Amino acid sequence: MRVIIFSWEYPPRVVGRLAEYINKLATQLAKQDIETHVVTYHDFLTGTVTEPTGVQTTRVANPVHTHIGVLTWVLTLNQEVERAAANIYYNANKHIDLIDVYDWHFIPAAVTLKNATGIPFIYSVESLEDHRSPGTNMPYNMAIKSIEWLGFYEAAKVTAKTEWMRDEIVRIYKVPKEKIAVISPEADSWVKDVLTVYDEVAGGAKSR
Amino acid sequence: MKQPLSVMMLSWEFPPRVIGGISPHVYFLSKSLSQNSVKVYVVTCDFPGTPSHEVIDGVEVYRIDSYKNPAPDFATWVYLMNLNMQKEAAALAAGLPDKIDVFHAHDWLVATAGIGLKHVFRKPLLVTMHSTEIGRRDGLHTGTEKMISETEAWLTYEAWKVICCSGYMVSHVRWAFGLPEDKLVMVPNGVNTRVYNALDGEDLRDFRSRFAAPSERLVLFVGRLVYEKGVHILVNAVPKILEKVDAKFVIVGSGYMKEQLLNIVRSMKLEHKVLFAGFVDDETLLRLQKCADVSVVPSLFEPFGIVALEAMAAKSPVVVSDTGGLSEIVEHEVTGVKVYPNNTDSLAWGVTKVLTDDGFRRYIVENAYRRVQEKYDWEKIAQQTKRIYESVLGEYSKSFWA
Repeated sequence: MRVIIFSWEYPPRVVGRLAEYINKLATQLAKQDIETHVVTYHDFLTGTVTEPTGVQTTRVANPVHTHIGVLTWVLTLNQEVERAAANIYYNANKHIDLIDVYDWHFIPAAVTLKNATGIPFIYSVESLEDHRSPGTNMPYNMAIKSIEWLGFYEAAKVTAKTEWMRDEIVRIYKVPKEKIAVISPEADSWVKDVLTVYDEVAGGAKSR
Repeated sequence: MKQPLSVMMLSWEFPPRVIGGISPHVYFLSKSLSQNSVKVYVVTCDFPGTPSHEVIDGVEVYRIDSYKNPAPDFATWVYLMNLNMQKEAAALAAGLPDKIDVFHAHDWLVATAGIGLKHVFRKPLLVTMHSTEIGRRDGLHTGTEKMISETEAWLTYEAWKVICCSGYMVSHVRWAFGLPEDKLVMVPNGVNTRVYNALDGEDLRDFRSRFAAPSERLVLFVGRLVYEKGVHILVNAVPKILEKVDAKFVIVGSGYMKEQLLNIVRSMKLEHKVLFAGFVDDETLLRLQKCADVSVVPSLFEPFGIVALEAMAAKSPVVVSDTGGLSEIVEHEVTGVKVYPNNTDSLAWGVTKVLTDDGFRRYIVENAYRRVQEKYDWEKIAQQTKRIYESVLGEYSKSFWA
């Protein structure tokens, strides 16, 4: 199985807890003989490297340096994420089983790749705009929510880390409950649970 | 190379959505390309009352769901709209029976969509730069302007070829983004002569009498009433021209200089000789251009100068200032008269010369019309553009992407 993980943070660039989680996940997947690629952002450590753990990492930077907000930064960076993912796809003779996207930032790239090449994606939710900016509905927040909505709509499967988050996704975005898998990083079966979802999504892709 | 060649045009405006010059440009270019056996798919923003898919003059037009929530600001809206455009264009291109050979983007307004599509489909991207942020703003003064300019730089970097509509724009774009010379190619803007020829049989005397007396020559200015268009130079030249020839000056367009111009006219006590017609509809404009005894384009800054071309197509003699794209469109005393920019005496001389020498006027009008047909005909422009696509695809076929 060949998998690409999209995450806007990854060591050595640690913003929150996501970076360490992706590091752990990618390392575990590589140990399970899954060809694991991580596409992430970095200001100056750009290009493709193979980590000691066997994970292949591509770090991209934003070609546009001046920005007026997080949205313009994210929406331009997505093209570089697409370029990196497309390079992996074409180098692998157009065979990628799935893309696992963490949070909303790189949903646009995943959606374009799905529409252009048929690679299914999983939207793995760390947090939601509704919780990050409670009670605000400025155009800025609405735009992020619309990208989150697009992710839920286009994803083959959604994962949440807790049942509470799953219920919140159902409540806020009216996503069918059965589309969301709860994968607890604390559980002993964590890696197995991830692989179960990957198999389901990749199998679904093959049968299409 | 497979036949027919297929291109996906990305444009934020397409008729009936008309905001600026890109909309008619993409319409005429696409239509003429499809008449030259190029399969054209236009992907553009939606517009009230238009279908999401239709075929217009052989061109497949797809209108995307442009982002319609309130956006934080115009530039952020552009990138949000591009997200949708890219998503829908990707699904469209993947679902077509034939593959798209080339993506052709028009201005930064579709930059991120074009760049993303290039990479996911691994097909060449071409861009037509109609304008630049640094040119529009005369420098980069705010974060937004810098961001837009950097997006333009990125787009021209990602493009296989960068098309500009005049030699002036070629050198401007080359300077603005530091591009290698062989990346730039000049393809002029076109003008539709047919809409003017269609009026040939019509008696325009009644129409003309709404603007000028039969004894008055009709001097026409068309453009926004802003400083860079140099309309004040023409207004200041009015008394000098009237010393030699009886004329009526018809000013079409609106803009912030209107009051100032009116005051100049009043102070000269020439209200009966200068008519501010304001913004007029297309039918009126075409007829005015047909009736004009001379069309004046006194611009101080002009990337292309489509108004001069339109006048030439309407068989109205042109007097233009020798600057920007106008310098290239007009050949002095062959297809029109060029005068010194920002020089009232020079402009008065040019207008007087055209109005007082009937033989000269006929000579430049005939030459100008022939030049328009030779150089600025959409048919010819489509053929040039098709050759660019073919040469890019030839280079592409030898690359590791093919």
